[in-house]
Amino acid sequence: MSDNNIAERVRGTIYQASLCLDEARWEDWLGLCHDEFYYAIRAFSPEINVDMTYLDGKRADMVTLTEMLPKHNSDHSPLARHTVVYTVDVDEAQQTASAVSSFTVMKTELDGINSHLLAGESNVFLVGKYRDQFRIESGTPLFSERIVQLDTRRLDKGSHWPI
Amino acid sequence: MPARNAKQWEKVPGKLSSGEYVDSRIYSDRDIFEEEITKIFSKVWMPVCHESELPDPYSFRTMTVAREPVLVVRGADNQIRAFLNVCPHRGNMLENRPSGSFEEASPSGAPKHITCMFHAWQFDMKGNCAHISRATEGYQDRLECKDVGLRRLRCEVKYGGFVWVTLNDGIGQTVEEWAGGAFDCMQKSLDAEPLEVFHYHKAIIPCNYKLWHDTNSEFYHDYLHYHNRVTGFNDSYFARKNIGFDNGHVNVGSFEVQYDEYEGFESREELSFPHLPTNHWEMIDFFPGVNFNLRGSALRCDIMTPLGPDKVMIEFRGLGLKRDTPEERLTRQRHHNSIWGPFGRNLHEDLLAVTTQQATMSEWADKRRILHGRHELDADGDPTIHDEEGMRHFYDAWGQWMDRWPGDPDLSYEEGQKRKAA
Ligand code: FES
Ligand SMILES: [Fe+2]
Repeated sequence: MSDNNIAERVRGTIYQASLCLDEARWEDWLGLCHDEFYYAIRAFSPEINVDMTYLDGKRADMVTLTEMLPKHNSDHSPLARHTVVYTVDVDEAQQTASAVSSFTVMKTELDGINSHLLAGESNVFLVGKYRDQFRIESGTPLFSERIVQLDTRRLDKGSHWPI
Repeated sequence: MPARNAKQWEKVPGKLSSGEYVDSRIYSDRDIFEEEITKIFSKVWMPVCHESELPDPYSFRTMTVAREPVLVVRGADNQIRAFLNVCPHRGNMLENRPSGSFEEASPSGAPKHITCMFHAWQFDMKGNCAHISRATEGYQDRLECKDVGLRRLRCEVKYGGFVWVTLNDGIGQTVEEWAGGAFDCMQKSLDAEPLEVFHYHKAIIPCNYKLWHDTNSEFYHDYLHYHNRVTGFNDSYFARKNIGFDNGHVNVGSFEVQYDEYEGFESREELSFPHLPTNHWEMIDFFPGVNFNLRGSALRCDIMTPLGPDKVMIEFRGLGLKRDTPEERLTRQRHHNSIWGPFGRNLHEDLLAVTTQQATMSEWADKRRILHGRHELDADGDPTIHDEEGMRHFYDAWGQWMDRWPGDPDLSYEEGQKRKAA
């Protein structure tokens, strides 16, 4: 397979992941991830001058986290990503790849505050970059790492969901 | 009782007495809010940042206290000082960045100086004016550097290295006197060795600051948190004491949290704060809008900046030990953020609940009673964790500062007391 084809598949996997996350299909999202998958949400704070990790965990941690969601009270306002893949780099042996994407997450209010007044209103929720690593297995890219690097640091209610 | 009609709804429910509820207007009335800024927030000590955010001489941080812009700097002598972040010339904000250093020259001024970019007046780290551009040409002998120092603010570094500031030059108390013993429960842990901030984020939510303080003060709302129910809710949890201190501060006593009861969570034993028993959890609700929360391996501090009757900024900080290795620090962050981070299990629930609570108390909503009437005493007669003594204690202090009765803010504090006695 050509590098171009693999790069195209990597792009497709990132976009599929965006759809799964938009639709809160956590199992399908994790289905795109390798067993060794590592996930982290990070941000740099210019207030305290520190690189922060807001959330991180391996695949098993993300499985537990998403399975526990029904036990928690959450704002269920849907989040929709606009993802654009900027770069894809495939290694020579075609076993790994890395990609950088830019994303904007919009939140459409549902039950967060006062649904009669606010439900249906969309606002920018988060801005940042996805820094992804892939393992290529039989031509299929699987996420081995996703670093969600946030620019947004005014996080108001934050979220219970992976971004 | 069946659902109530309008008249029944207005009555005090059950046998609750005045002082066991507050009037919802204290969370929504604009005049009351304005009074809180002038009568309380501009008069008291507030922590504004942590000393680790000013790591070197010439480091600075900026913030807002009771709507005034504040600048905190570390001098060449390592002393931390606070000033109004206001230029004495034409009132420009002196420094706009959240943090940084004055060691390097700025585009308008010299190194090691605070320079107002507008007309390049310069000040040293003690707030002395050091330079007025074309001073004698413009002012002759009518105004010199010695006339235009910065407005200095009283400032103390206290309790684990927090920087405390007050706008009130005439404040009669030190931070320690103002705390009135409320820090005794964790001072040993905080002052055993230097701490460092590892987490910061902010929320600006449609909510009165007191509702956030209330939710930090009452643990009855652990029903909101699946995590707290499974890791707490045993005999020692229900025995935690609720203790009031002078000036409206409150402690909630400690117990051992069973972290491993929550799937995927681990004991905090390995990284316990000094002098804190394994997996214990101490809590200080500090008047009028600060919270210190020491949970096993991490200290959380919330600082509230009220922005309107239904708007507050909350700054969330997480702190560990300065000597942490990178691995220890990451584990501490994980412990802190898995519960209290912006993507953590509990913080989202708390923020959700207080915003939906405020949503029923808009400025145009009818006034109603917010109940603070739970009394759950232990064998010694002391209030325990689900007793609402914490909120009652806070509102009693609030009523005195405001000279208003929280249960009916149209009454003075004294009139309210008389009604309570009657
Ligand atoms: S306003 Fe600061 S120098 Fe003029
Ligand atoms: Fe809570």
